[in-house]
Amino acid sequence: MGAFETLKKYKWMIPLLNKADRDIKSILMKNMRSKEKNFYPEGEYKADVDNLIKCMLCPNMCRFDCGTLQASQTESMSPSYKARIGYYLTIGKIDPTKEENSDFIDFMYKCSNEENCKIWCPFGFSVVSLLETVRDDLNSKGLTPDYCKEQIKKLEESNTIEGYNIYDTYKEHGIENIETEGNDDVFYYIGCESMKFPDVIKANISILQKAGVKFSTNLEKKVCCGGPSFNIRDSDTAEKFAKKNQELIESTGAKIIVSDCPGCVLTLTKRYESIGIKIEKKIIHIVEYIKQLLEEGKINPTKNVPVELKKVTIHDPCLIARNLNDTASIRAILGRIQDLEIVEPIYNKEYVHCCGWSGTAHWADRVLAIKEASNRIDELRETGAEVFVSACPLCELGLNYGINPEEKEKFKILDVSELLVKSL
Amino acid sequence: MNIDDFELIYKNNRKEIKNKTLIKTELSEFLGEKNVSIKNADLLAYTRDSSLIALNWTIQGKIAGLPDFITWPETKEQISKILKLANKEKIPVIPYSEGSGVVGGSIPIYGGIIIDMKKFNKILEINDKNLTVTAQTGINGMNLERYLNSKGYTSGHIPQSLYTSSLGGWIAHRAAGQFSTKYGKIEDIVMGMEVILPLGEIIKFKPIARAATGPQLDKMFIGGEGTLGIVTEATLKIWPYPEKRTLISYSFPTIEDSFNATREILRENVYPAVIRIYDVHETDRHFSEVENAKKRVMTVFVCEGNKKLVDVEEAITREMCEKNAGINCGTGPVEHWFETRFRVTETSTMSPYKLVYDTVEVASLWDRAARIYHSVVEATDRIKGNLLITAHVSHFYANGVGTYFTFGGVPPKGVSDLEFYQECWDSIIKAVLEAGGSIAHHHGIGINRAHWMKKEWGTAINVMKDIKKLLDPSNILNPGKIYEDIWKGGVE
Repeated sequence: MGAFETLKKYKWMIPLLNKADRDIKSILMKNMRSKEKNFYPEGEYKADVDNLIKCMLCPNMCRFDCGTLQASQTESMSPSYKARIGYYLTIGKIDPTKEENSDFIDFMYKCSNEENCKIWCPFGFSVVSLLETVRDDLNSKGLTPDYCKEQIKKLEESNTIEGYNIYDTYKEHGIENIETEGNDDVFYYIGCESMKFPDVIKANISILQKAGVKFSTNLEKKVCCGGPSFNIRDSDTAEKFAKKNQELIESTGAKIIVSDCPGCVLTLTKRYESIGIKIEKKIIHIVEYIKQLLEEGKINPTKNVPVELKKVTIHDPCLIARNLNDTASIRAILGRIQDLEIVEPIYNKEYVHCCGWSGTAHWADRVLAIKEASNRIDELRETGAEVFVSACPLCELGLNYGINPEEKEKFKILDVSELLVKSL
Repeated sequence: MNIDDFELIYKNNRKEIKNKTLIKTELSEFLGEKNVSIKNADLLAYTRDSSLIALNWTIQGKIAGLPDFITWPETKEQISKILKLANKEKIPVIPYSEGSGVVGGSIPIYGGIIIDMKKFNKILEINDKNLTVTAQTGINGMNLERYLNSKGYTSGHIPQSLYTSSLGGWIAHRAAGQFSTKYGKIEDIVMGMEVILPLGEIIKFKPIARAATGPQLDKMFIGGEGTLGIVTEATLKIWPYPEKRTLISYSFPTIEDSFNATREILRENVYPAVIRIYDVHETDRHFSEVENAKKRVMTVFVCEGNKKLVDVEEAITREMCEKNAGINCGTGPVEHWFETRFRVTETSTMSPYKLVYDTVEVASLWDRAARIYHSVVEATDRIKGNLLITAHVSHFYANGVGTYFTFGGVPPKGVSDLEFYQECWDSIIKAVLEAGGSIAHHHGIGINRAHWMKKEWGTAINVMKDIKKLLDPSNILNPGKIYEDIWKGGVE
């Protein structure tokens, strides 16, 4: 809230304050002037103390929609409590350097970045945006948790989020690699998590080929977008990957970059810009591009999909729904598939609940992330559909973890492209 | 972290538990390791409720109470076992769900075992023919309501704490929602319950529309604030989601004019779902841009339900408002209320300036409603350091009202936050009692009002204390609330 809005909001108090005794007014003025002296830390820090305070004093207006709180059902996972701990770690009330306080540090990472909280926040911020600033200070003190260091090590050693270069597996999975000739229309930017779903990649390649798009995949040169380092707030690693990707993207000459991973889209755009690197290209999620291809008549779904795939429900990826603000593309694509019955879950579109596999929570507490995924599976099952359609490899991974092993055969988790390609 | 680094407000009450390790082992045996914690990281999360004074303590690095164990039972049998163990070891047990209470009801004053009810969060059945929903009581209010909405119903219980409170908390503190003038308060909505008594016995009151089967024993647990039993399951009335909603607002020259208009509407047996009367200060606060409301008393109405009935309610509402000098302010003020009713920013912005503030809701019959309003304003205005005392009236009956006061100020030199807070609270409550009102409308007693229970109930409080003793002979269930005067203050 800016100064003008604050003044406007509290203008009504002025006549009441004017009635106060002089000594009371003096105490009030002193309190007003001393806010930072009284409650802010000394020295240098990056933590967003102002908003941490606001969040920790809030009655937890977003608690009912916080994925990790709903998964854990413990008060210690509530958003305001996390902010409170972030504040205490920042001011040193809880000493982050002491081994015994590692549980408190872990709270700073037990967030799945879904940002449902932002919808309900009276101040309009997301809790993770505050926790990330606390992570900055923890990093600068050398207190990055081991599970985060492990992710950075993987990035450094393999250039991907796995302990090996996952892009090297393309041949064994039968994924066609298309190297750039430097004059592509489109660079199909395959996320490293997407490499775990070769059928999705093959479907996307097939769709692009059927539409006659000139594109490349550049799997031999491909590296992670660096998304995990942005979550961990390792700025050096983040910048390194941003530069590598900028160079690769520019080498393709492509006008449009389409990715099958919304995390990659976010990283290549807003997150790179946050560290001063702007890629001057149109960077979009592939569902938006496929929707466009359908509208232009470049692909035309005419075949029926198999009967067992006729009734589907949609799991909107948080990042597409809330960050890219696009809930229409998935529905537009599914809407073009003949005789498909779409049953919406209660929590859908911008109100979708997370799959549990975004952010840092699944590294900090895998059991918690799986529970969050299983909660989401319960919501999808309630629709009566047995096919859950999404458009994000992390969601597809998380949702898979959320299904009971004995029910794996019953439910199918499909990427929207996998379904579409069957109808072309 | 040493938890002693946090100054404990109710430190004189705290009781040390000697054989903690053994008790932790016993709890883990029947709850499982994952459902018991003695970690500081968990204990700290349960050291306060949402009392506004607790926010000042939070930013100052203080805690209200300190529990010894946190438990997350998953079955009623596990709750029963916790209570039996607590009775054996004479350890306090504090039921907790969302911690949204504002009178200290879930603060572990003596330490002990927190029973966090969050895992009791299932909706068990919606029955369309009976118009009921049965749910476990740890469910968050918003999650219950939006599930009902998705199926075409509403519970009609929409407190401002909807996002942050639980069904169990509503029942424990005898809550009332903002739409309660039409749909009723929680005691009107609850039709049946399962309760676990302090000694661990599980009892059930079957859901029924009405019965003449002796006294209404079940009602005793509504408002019991977790001192008489732990409610684990409840069947509630639900309604088809309203077909039509009409928004109306009028401003009046005085609060008395607004009271008259509202009272006359209700006399006609017309019950708008929402009625809210804002005194001159709160009108200025919320509706400063409404030209027709300058220096007047804004009153908003929401009529909802069947279209034909809503149209009739609207006509009668307008007639009574205009008869009592009301000026039509259109739908804008009501839309503004809908837009902002869950946008709570004040709690986050006052404590950093060391402002001490709170809200106190009280009840009265119509014939003394205006007197109570003026008495409280006068009494609180006299308190050194208090800067504002305002009110809105938010709950209505044919026979009376619930009035909601807000006070705020800075403690004078040498006066602590808590002392100043208590002085304001006691002043308001005293003024209400002297003017013939009742000390709480829908937040409950907790710690903040216990001092005044004898005055409120007279000798009947002794009956209540006897019942408490009978059900909870070792006083293990949520001690320090309702019957015990922890504040030891307030001039009577």
